[in-house]
Amino acid sequence: MKAFNYSPEHLTSNRRLFWIAAVLGVIMMAPVAWIIGLSLKDNAELLRGTEAVFNMPYTLVNYANILESSSVFGWFMNSMIVAVGQTFGVLLLSSLAGYAFARLEFPFRKTLFIIVLFGLAVPEQAVIIARHQMFNWFDLHNTHIGLILPNLSSAFGVFLMTQFFRAIPKEIDEAAMLDNTSTFRIFWKVLLPLTLPAQATLGIFTFLQAWNDYWWPLISATKSDMYTLTIGIASSQTNFAQSEGLGFLGAQAVFASLPVVIVYIFFQRHIVTAVSGGAVK
Amino acid sequence: MKQLLLGTATAGLLALSPLASATTIELQRFFGACEAEYGNNTDVSAAVGECGIITSLVNKFEADNPDIDVNVTTVEWPGYDQLNAQLASRSAPDVVSMHYSAISDYQSRGLLVPLDKLLKDQNIKPSDFTEAGISSVTKEDGIYALPFDNWTMLFHVNNNLMRQAGLLKKDGTPILPTSREELFSQGKQFQEATGKPYLIQVSANETASFARMFYTLMMQQNSTFFDDPRKIDLTGEDAKKTLTFMKDMLNVTAKNLDYAAAVSGFSSGDAGISVNGTWLIGSYDNQSKESNNALSGGYSVYPIPQFFDKKDVTYTDGHGWAVPRGKRSDEKMAAIGKLFKFFYDNNYQWARTGHLPVVKAVINSEQFKSLPHRSDIAKIAKTGQALPSAVLRQFAIQDILGEELSSAVNGDKSIDDALKTAQYRVNDLLENI
Repeated sequence: MKAFNYSPEHLTSNRRLFWIAAVLGVIMMAPVAWIIGLSLKDNAELLRGTEAVFNMPYTLVNYANILESSSVFGWFMNSMIVAVGQTFGVLLLSSLAGYAFARLEFPFRKTLFIIVLFGLAVPEQAVIIARHQMFNWFDLHNTHIGLILPNLSSAFGVFLMTQFFRAIPKEIDEAAMLDNTSTFRIFWKVLLPLTLPAQATLGIFTFLQAWNDYWWPLISATKSDMYTLTIGIASSQTNFAQSEGLGFLGAQAVFASLPVVIVYIFFQRHIVTAVSGGAVK
Repeated sequence: MKQLLLGTATAGLLALSPLASATTIELQRFFGACEAEYGNNTDVSAAVGECGIITSLVNKFEADNPDIDVNVTTVEWPGYDQLNAQLASRSAPDVVSMHYSAISDYQSRGLLVPLDKLLKDQNIKPSDFTEAGISSVTKEDGIYALPFDNWTMLFHVNNNLMRQAGLLKKDGTPILPTSREELFSQGKQFQEATGKPYLIQVSANETASFARMFYTLMMQQNSTFFDDPRKIDLTGEDAKKTLTFMKDMLNVTAKNLDYAAAVSGFSSGDAGISVNGTWLIGSYDNQSKESNNALSGGYSVYPIPQFFDKKDVTYTDGHGWAVPRGKRSDEKMAAIGKLFKFFYDNNYQWARTGHLPVVKAVINSEQFKSLPHRSDIAKIAKTGQALPSAVLRQFAIQDILGEELSSAVNGDKSIDDALKTAQYRVNDLLENI
């Protein structure tokens, strides 16, 4: 079957496809535009009706209110530390595990790999109480490490990297071995650079997941100076904000999603490849 | 010599610093954060809204008590997931905001400190509080929270539209229904005159308002649906009558509105009466003072009318301040006592949010009565009633009931089916605690 051509050139050359894509694009962007519109309106005006979004005047007061809070940059930094820490941790551990499962011979390799894959089927809810208790014993709550550690063991990451290492021809390893290269150097210098597309895919997904994570930070980071951005902005919402603070809610949503948008802008090629499954080919 | 001088100076400064001997109270609350606007404000009377007033109250307390530092953590409403996690890890705050309906869940597991002695030491007597307030925080003969307010559902009225419908008295007050029959006849009259729905209330994507209305109407029939706190009984005629009435109300109500749409719908003049909470009084009153809008010069608010003649009663809940179990020094408990006394003394300021005060002296004061519309709803301090305090999991029960009731009201289930399922689900929940 002929693969569908998603390239912009192909879409623009086909008028019908172009209009379908344009309509879908507008539908996808409408909620985003709506949120941005809300964020630029006064809360009292929105209380009387959200149709005010379409009328002047607009204001930046909701953004000013976010930025004037002395805590927000601390929350932003916490989110950044956790998301970056988790991303590097997952990349390192998943690459090491993936290489081991794909290339090394050791007892119970297949059994261990299946056990790792079982991790994909265990929902976070099933382990949250035990994990919370364990982190309590080790006094890890309200620490960055406590927020980073739980998601370092990524079953998806190990699976993805294992598949990718398996797809690399073994002849490359053998050629390196002929030069008397150590196993670690083969992993680090020869094979790891070849896995960059998979690393990018895994890194982006991990970063986005860590940035948006809500539940674990909610119950682990209970001191406000350790809040991540998701928890911090939720905590600053007044009761009934959905009616009385709609503009502020919109501004919070835009503010919180900015880093993710930036990540997307810089890595969109890798994200599209990842979503379309190209990374594991 | 230089080091000695430096050391002496440092020690002297530390000794003089108020922070050196400060007792820190960890206070955890919802109501949002508004540091940008009120972070340094100590003039409580200048603050508005829940967040502004509570932030300014704490600031003022700290300014008045330099030996006490209040470290505030704000949590997303209602904050019980975080509190549960903190209790599990023995890191609970010293003071926490808590709904009256949640107190039993914590008190029954021994997770709250009884406050009788602490309040007594501050010369605060249980009789100082309204019945609706003190009964909600009293469990098994102990007081487990400082009552702070009562809130309930109300009839917010657009007098401008009521005038158009011929439902305004000469003195400018609206004619409200005094029976179920009158509700429907006035609703019809209103709709014919204005072309708009008579009532507006949350009917989509929210369940709490259904449950609250159900409680009020059941209580008005003197129903014993929670006679046994571990079992709900919805098999009686009272439950059927209540739900039938709620379903019929839909004939004069704007349909398919979520919370935000219901609030803005009333605000923009889409209906005559909004069934919503005390917390909206301030917003609607402010709007009525501005010109050129649907509520300009024409807003009033009243308790939900007595639709069943057995008892004049309204279901109420409220906010209190509880002290989770934990090791604390006598100094810290004394500091908490001072903070509670300050909250008690400033109950009027909190009542400016729209919530009803719980200190009798405040509710009877001219100062409170002179607040807009408060004299019209003050009777709720006497007629307000919570669910029996021994009923556990009131938040979860509210969700279950609300889901089933809304299914019946919106026509997805029969009334009998909805009541039967609601009873089964609530009792299943309570049996498995």
